[in-house]
Amino acid sequence: MEKLYVNEIRPDGEVSTVGLFYSRAEAEKIVAMLRDIPERSACRYEIVQAVRHLLAEKDASRAQTAPEE
Amino acid sequence: MTDPVLAEMVYATGATESRHYAAVKPTIQAYRASWVTIAPRRDGVVNPQRTVVNDPAAMTARIKAKATELGADMVGVCRLQPDMIDLGSEVPHEFVIAACVAEDYEKVMQGPDAVEEEAMWTYARCAEIATELAAQIRAMGYPARAHHNGGSEVQAIPIFYQVGFGELGRHGSLINEKYGASFRPGFVTTDLPLVEDRPREFGVQDFCMNCNVCQRNCPGDAIPQDYVLTHGIKRWLIDLEKCYPYSRLRDEYCHLCVDVCPYNVKSHPNTYKAFMKERKQVGYKTPKTY
Repeated sequence: MEKLYVNEIRPDGEVSTVGLFYSRAEAEKIVAMLRDIPERSACRYEIVQAVRHLLAEKDASRAQTAPEE
Repeated sequence: MTDPVLAEMVYATGATESRHYAAVKPTIQAYRASWVTIAPRRDGVVNPQRTVVNDPAAMTARIKAKATELGADMVGVCRLQPDMIDLGSEVPHEFVIAACVAEDYEKVMQGPDAVEEEAMWTYARCAEIATELAAQIRAMGYPARAHHNGGSEVQAIPIFYQVGFGELGRHGSLINEKYGASFRPGFVTTDLPLVEDRPREFGVQDFCMNCNVCQRNCPGDAIPQDYVLTHGIKRWLIDLEKCYPYSRLRDEYCHLCVDVCPYNVKSHPNTYKAFMKERKQVGYKTPKTY
């Protein structure tokens, strides 16, 4: 499954992560719903790879295959 | 299945429903059925004769006393904010009342079935409390809607934080100073004039930065090391793809992250120590099966 963050960027530049989503379609649906909210009309949204979660998976698999000392 | 992540994982195994939900435990099925049965009573007719509220603080105290009398262990009030409402839902009320019931932490020593039964009993109680409280507020002449496992349009965590129940922990649940994360919610949204409670922070987010006990005990390694920020609050976003094999794709319930949280030690020191000794003996990442 994909792992994607939806980030909200406020007019003052503050970045707030909305959540972790498991498909681009789901992330885009959430963004569309957020854009419909009048109080959030000045915010921008971005969908990005959830790097923290992907790196954690790589670390976990690296730990499993690490050679014994 | 409405959860797309769960649905994809279940269908990938060739099954049509989650093993956990399909595993028939009659008591638990009865609890689940109870909140479905009372769901139609979430909302209803408002008494056209309205009780005048000259003192919202006194009314708030009265509502809290009523919720406590009905069985709630914690009651809090805040204004309903957009972030507290499910995306795409409409909740046209001004306030939200959170009424929570604590789980009996002693059940952790009795196995995953006992923990699950306790959790579902607690959810059922919360549904009853919220339903009755909403009905009583409507009888006073104000719109009121109950939100619980049988139907809800609100988000628990931001409400818990705003009413002062505690702070978000690494395991994704809110941590309360007395009950840890071992409690379940019901909510009532309403236009009854009330007075808000305030957020209360007591060091949870800083503690979770260094603790890692839940992360070390999660059989699926679903609790991340790093956090993201949502409106300034740290969130360690649980990886459902790693959580679900242990919490939804097995027969047994998994609640380990909540059970091992050190915030349980203050109210249950002996049980916590005994439980953690057991966890050490079986291996910290061993799923609960006994």
